[in-house]
Amino acid sequence: MKLYPVKLLTITCEILAQKNIIEILTKHEITGYTTYEVNGNGARGLRSQGLTNEKNVKIEIILREEKLQDIVEEVSRTLFANFAIVLYVSDIGVLRTEKF
Amino acid sequence: MDILQLIQSNLLTPIVLFFLFGIIAARIKSDLKIPQAISEFLPIYLLAAIGLHGGIQMRTTGFENMLVPMLVAIGLSLLFTLNHYQILRKLGKFNIFDSYALASTYGAVGAVTFSVGLSFLKNQGVTSEGYLAAVLAVLEPVAFILAIFLTNMAVSKQINAKKQSFTNDSKSDIDVGLNETKIKLSKILRESVTGKAIVILLGSIVIGYIIGKEGFGPIKIVFDDLFTGAIVIFMIEMGIIAGQRLDDLKKVGIFLISFSIIMPTFNGIIGVVVATLIGLSMGGSVMFGLLLASASFIAAPAVLRNAIPQANPSLYITSALGITFPYNIIVLLPIMFAVSSLLHDPEGSIDLFHYSLKDLI
Repeated sequence: MKLYPVKLLTITCEILAQKNIIEILTKHEITGYTTYEVNGNGARGLRSQGLTNEKNVKIEIILREEKLQDIVEEVSRTLFANFAIVLYVSDIGVLRTEKF
Repeated sequence: MDILQLIQSNLLTPIVLFFLFGIIAARIKSDLKIPQAISEFLPIYLLAAIGLHGGIQMRTTGFENMLVPMLVAIGLSLLFTLNHYQILRKLGKFNIFDSYALASTYGAVGAVTFSVGLSFLKNQGVTSEGYLAAVLAVLEPVAFILAIFLTNMAVSKQINAKKQSFTNDSKSDIDVGLNETKIKLSKILRESVTGKAIVILLGSIVIGYIIGKEGFGPIKIVFDDLFTGAIVIFMIEMGIIAGQRLDDLKKVGIFLISFSIIMPTFNGIIGVVVATLIGLSMGGSVMFGLLLASASFIAAPAVLRNAIPQANPSLYITSALGITFPYNIIVLLPIMFAVSSLLHDPEGSIDLFHYSLKDLI
């Protein structure tokens, strides 16, 4: 089995920032991502209670390293200051590299 | 009618009791909660019921007499938003973003508060004008649009001031502000007009208008008889969320706490008086006042988080939901009811107008 190295960008943020992130992804021509609603606790307190607008969401994006830099830069520049958001990158291997 | 007596009897209605019960449940850290699907469904149901009701009544009253109250409501809402901003910025020393966010939260309307008001009137055996549902729909985005416009203008003013220290390019602030706002506003306008609250409200008004009283018969059991009961269930959820937020009140501060009680009272009473002057019925004036007194806490976060992300959401959510909402439904609603019945009392009204006019002059 041959695995090709790509990057996994994981962003956990408040659900109201999801749209902004998807917009940034679209701008950089990334069309594939996975989102799921999550609960948790962090710098901005317990997130998940009460209003649905206050939930958190986790977005996973598999992408090549070339695009990673720009996307991470834009997310941190436009969203870090005002939104509850955590972002990290991991190295992963995929079978079909042409998909990404 | 004695105001205290009214407040007291209002306290013992199921709506208020279940709201208080929800707060207690949250405070004792019970795991009680309304399933998410239901708490998302209930606002939609409430808006559909409000819309249907409004539409059916508009069929008999027509559209013409809706225009004046609607324009007056929009005007007052804008005026109040500006007034809130001045108070928050000058007296409260809030930063520009928090000031605009809070100003528009309190200038906007609360659909849940509106539902509680309708059920309060029903309980008192008083009717209100159906077209107020349409006013509710139109009023929803107005205050936000103004606040977003002014925020963008203020931001571009700052940017321009910085730029001008480098160049002498004197493009006016308004131009820049308008351009920035245009892009943002068209997006936000589209989003809020196609947002679920306005869509279901307007859709139900149209359907109510088409079906009329006869068509409403078969669905009356769901959209009329169950209305108050559905609010009661929703009140448990509102109580729980408000209860969970009580700890945040310390962060909100004494100024904002007093603001979120005094401002609605002021706006609401003015609303009742103005509505009476433009000829709304006794119940209609109460609802008109309630529209202006209420603060938005379901629509506001969704709009403001994207439009003014710099503002601290816990300020406007906590004050609107934790303080203003309970105050409005428990205390202010009976007060406005008393004021309105005083103004509409055929003998009292002449006197009161006389007094209030004399005071003004």
